[in-house]
Amino acid sequence: MSSVAGNESGIKQDHVPPDHANPRYVPLAHAYDEMFDADGVVRAGLEPLADALVEMGPEGLRERGRLRDAHLSAQGITFTLSGRERPLPLDLVPRIVTSDEWRTVSDGVAQRIRALEAFLADVYGRGDIMRDGVVPKSLVTSSSHYHRQAYGIVPPNGVRIHVAGVDLVRDDAGTFHVLEDNLRSPSGVSYVLENRRTLAHVLPEVFAGYRVQPVSEYPERLYRALSAAAPPDIHHPTVVVLSPGVYNSAHFEHAFLARRMGTELVEGRDLFCRGGFVYMRTTQGPQPVHVIYRRIDDDYLDPVQFHPDSVLGVPGLLNAARAGAVTIANGVGNGVADDKALYPFVPKIIDYYLGETPILPNVPTYDLRDADVRAFVLGRLDTMVIKPVDGSGGYGLVIGPKATDEELAQAAKSIQEDPRAWVAQPVVQLSTSPTVVGAGALQPRHLDLRPFAVNDGRKVWVMPGGLTRVALTQGSLVVNSSQGGGSKDTWVLASQDVDDDDGWIGAEAILASHQQSRTVPDRAPNSPRDSLPSPHEARMRQQEEQQQQNLGPVAEREFRFPGDRSC
Amino acid sequence: MAENFFWVGRYLERAEGTTRLLAEHHQLLVEDTRVPYGDGCRVLLDALALGEAEARNVDNPHALVRAVLGSTSDPGTVAGSVTAARENARAIRDALSGDVYEALHGVHLRLRAATSSEIEPLSPGVLLHGVLERLAVVAGVLDWTSPRDEAFVFLRLGRALERIDMTARLLKVRHDLLWPESGPATALRAAGGLHAFLRGGHPLNGEQVRAFLVLDPTFPRSMLGCALAAEQAARELEALGSVSPHGGILRTVGLLRSELEFVPTDPSPEIVDHLAIYGLGSATEAGTEVRTAFFRQVGTVVWSH
Repeated sequence: MSSVAGNESGIKQDHVPPDHANPRYVPLAHAYDEMFDADGVVRAGLEPLADALVEMGPEGLRERGRLRDAHLSAQGITFTLSGRERPLPLDLVPRIVTSDEWRTVSDGVAQRIRALEAFLADVYGRGDIMRDGVVPKSLVTSSSHYHRQAYGIVPPNGVRIHVAGVDLVRDDAGTFHVLEDNLRSPSGVSYVLENRRTLAHVLPEVFAGYRVQPVSEYPERLYRALSAAAPPDIHHPTVVVLSPGVYNSAHFEHAFLARRMGTELVEGRDLFCRGGFVYMRTTQGPQPVHVIYRRIDDDYLDPVQFHPDSVLGVPGLLNAARAGAVTIANGVGNGVADDKALYPFVPKIIDYYLGETPILPNVPTYDLRDADVRAFVLGRLDTMVIKPVDGSGGYGLVIGPKATDEELAQAAKSIQEDPRAWVAQPVVQLSTSPTVVGAGALQPRHLDLRPFAVNDGRKVWVMPGGLTRVALTQGSLVVNSSQGGGSKDTWVLASQDVDDDDGWIGAEAILASHQQSRTVPDRAPNSPRDSLPSPHEARMRQQEEQQQQNLGPVAEREFRFPGDRSC
Repeated sequence: MAENFFWVGRYLERAEGTTRLLAEHHQLLVEDTRVPYGDGCRVLLDALALGEAEARNVDNPHALVRAVLGSTSDPGTVAGSVTAARENARAIRDALSGDVYEALHGVHLRLRAATSSEIEPLSPGVLLHGVLERLAVVAGVLDWTSPRDEAFVFLRLGRALERIDMTARLLKVRHDLLWPESGPATALRAAGGLHAFLRGGHPLNGEQVRAFLVLDPTFPRSMLGCALAAEQAARELEALGSVSPHGGILRTVGLLRSELEFVPTDPSPEIVDHLAIYGLGSATEAGTEVRTAFFRQVGTVVWSH
C-alpha cells in the first residue's frame, strides 16, 4: 500500500517517473501535464498518487477497472447517449487540484456568477448596460435565448442563476481560463458525487496520502438555495425537480438530485396551473408547488408562451412565476448570459457591475459579426475552433486543425450565412493528465474542469471539486460526455493551514462521552454486545459427547413450542 | 428452540447492522481524510465494544475492516455474529426452510474465507457490499418462507431488540461531529435511512438525523420503530400465553416505546441523546429478561425407564 509520506521526504530525486511510472507515459509537448512538469518530474504534492499508480502497475489498474465497472453498472449510474443507457466512463486516476489553485478557481467562478446575475437582472429590467454601450443591444436581443417573456419576472431573492457550471481549461502554462458558462441546466454534478464514492470504493488506498475536500453536501446546499428562492411568506416551500422524463440523457441526474434533496421528481404532466398558482397532482389532491428546479429548456417550459406543441411543459407556468406564486430555477431566459457571442463581453460585464478585474481570464474569442474579424478568421479557419453560439454538449463544434476540408468549407459557408450564430476561438491546448487506456497503460489525455456554483442569494458557493471531463480518444480536444468523453474524480485538497481544531469535535470528546454513558447505572461496565451466554464450543463439545454416549445432558433446550412438547 | 429463533434474529440483525455501519464508516474514513485514521477507527471500535484500537493496532481503514469483520469466534463482530446465527440455525435446521439455511450458510462460508485469508481484499467496499447483499438474501428468504407462528415472533423480537442496540451504537459514533459535512448522511446510510429521512423533508443536519434515528415512527430502524416492533412481538407472545402480562419483557419494551413515542415536539438534542442511552439500556434489559424468562439453563435431565 502507498505510504502517507511523500511530500517532504525527498522522494523527488529518485522519482524519474515518466519512464519509471510507465514506460510509455510521455507528456505531450505543447500541453500542460497536470502530473509531470516539463522535465518529467512529478509535480509537488502528486507524489503519493504517482507512487500508488506505480505500485499498482497495469495489472492492478486492470483489476481496479473491473471493480469500477462492476460497481458502476450495479449502481445504475448511467448517462444516456443516443438513446442507449451506458455508464459515464470514469477514469481511475483522480485529478488533483491544490488548495491554492482552487482558491483562484472558486473566487473566479463566484465573481463571474455575481456579475452575470447582475447582468441578467439588468437585461430583463432597466437595461442600463445596453444604454451605457458596454454590451450592444443588438447582441442581446438577437440571442435566441433572450426571451421577452422573461421581462419583468423578478425572482423573490433576486437569484436567477441558482446553479451554474463554468467550464474551465488550463493552457500550456497551466493557467485556468474560462471556456464557457452554463447558466441554464448545467449537468454532471451527480457524477461528481458518484465518482467520489466509486473511487473510494475501488481505490481506497490512493486517498491515504491526501486530505480531499468533500463534495457530498452539494444536494443539501442546492436544496437550501432552492428553498431560499421560494416566494416570500412560504415557510416550508415545496420544491420539485422538473424533468423531461426518463428518455432524457441526464435523467439519472434528475432522479439523483430529487432523491438526494428529498423532493419530488415530476414531469410536466404532473403539474398544472390554476388561478395563477402551480399545483402538483397527488393522491391526496392538488398540492401547491413553490419552487421548480427545472431541467427542461425554456422553449419547452410553457406551451402558452413558447413552443405551443410542447408536451413537456406546464401551461401557464410563466404567468404564475410572473405573479410571484412560484419560482423557476434556473431563471427563464438565462441563456442570454451564457450565449457564446456574449462571452467575450463578460470581462467588461464584471468590470461594469462589480468594478473588479476578472480573476479567471477568458479564452480569446472572435466576434464574427464584424466583417474584418470575420475575414481574418475565415482566412485561418484551420487553426480555429468554431462553435455555434447557442450550442452545448459539443454538438456542431468544428476544430480547425482536425477538420477535413469539406468540414471547413461547410463551416465557412455557415459563418457567412449567419455570422451571429458562430464564434471562433484559437485552439487551446487543453492540459493533460495520465489516464488509463487500453490494458492498464497510462497515457496523457486532454481534460477540462466544470466547477459547480450554487447561489442562495446571500453567497455564491462553489463546490470544492467539479466534473473533470477527459477526452478518451488520443489527441482529441472534445471532452463532452455527449461526444463520448469520460470523467475523472476531481480532488480539491484541503489547505494545510486549516487544522482539525477549528471548532471540530475530535475523537477524544466522543470517546469520553462513551465513558460517561457507561457510568449510567444498570449498565454493564463496557456495554458489551449481548450474546449467548454459553460459548458455542461448549455446546458443540457437549453435543458431540452426547452422540457418543447416547445419553447425557440435554443442554438448555427447556422451552419448546406446544407442538414440540412430545416428551 | 424459541431461544434459537430469538438468537438467529438477533445475530442476523447484528451482522447486517454492523456490516452496513462498517461499510459506510469505512467509505467516509477513506473519502474524507481530514479526520485522522486513528481517531476514525477508535470511535467505531469503541462504539461496537470491540476493544481499544491502540491495543489492537487498528490505525487504518483496512485494519478497521479486518477488526470489525473479526473472527468467527467473537460474536460482537460480523463474522462472529454470522457464525453464531448459523450455529443457532443448525440447531433448528428442521424448523427452517432449506433456502434459509443455504443462504445463511453461504454468508458464513464467504465470511470465513474472507477473515481467515491473509490477503488484503482489493476493495473492502466491494467485499462488504457483497456480504450485505447476501445478508439481504437471508433476510428476504426468512421473510417469505417462514410460517408466521410463535417461532417467528421470537425471531422478530430478537431482531427488534438488536436493532435498538445497533441504532444506539451507531449514534455513539457521532459521525455528525467528526465529519460535519458528510457525517449526517453517513449515519443515515449506515442505518439504511437516508432515503426515508430525505423523503420526510427534514433538513440534513446532525441534530435532525439523530432525532430521526431515535424518534421517527415510520422508519423501521429508528429506535421508536424498533420499540414498536418489539412491543408488538411481546404482545403477540402474551396473547399466545408465552409471556406473563405482568411486568417483564412486555413492560420493559412498552415503557421504552411510550417514552419514545410521547416526547415533546421538537425535543432538544439532550433529550434525544438521553433517550438513545435509555433505549440501549432498555434493550439490554429486555434481552436479559427474555433470556431469564424462557431460556433458563437447566441442569442435567435424568431419564428414568
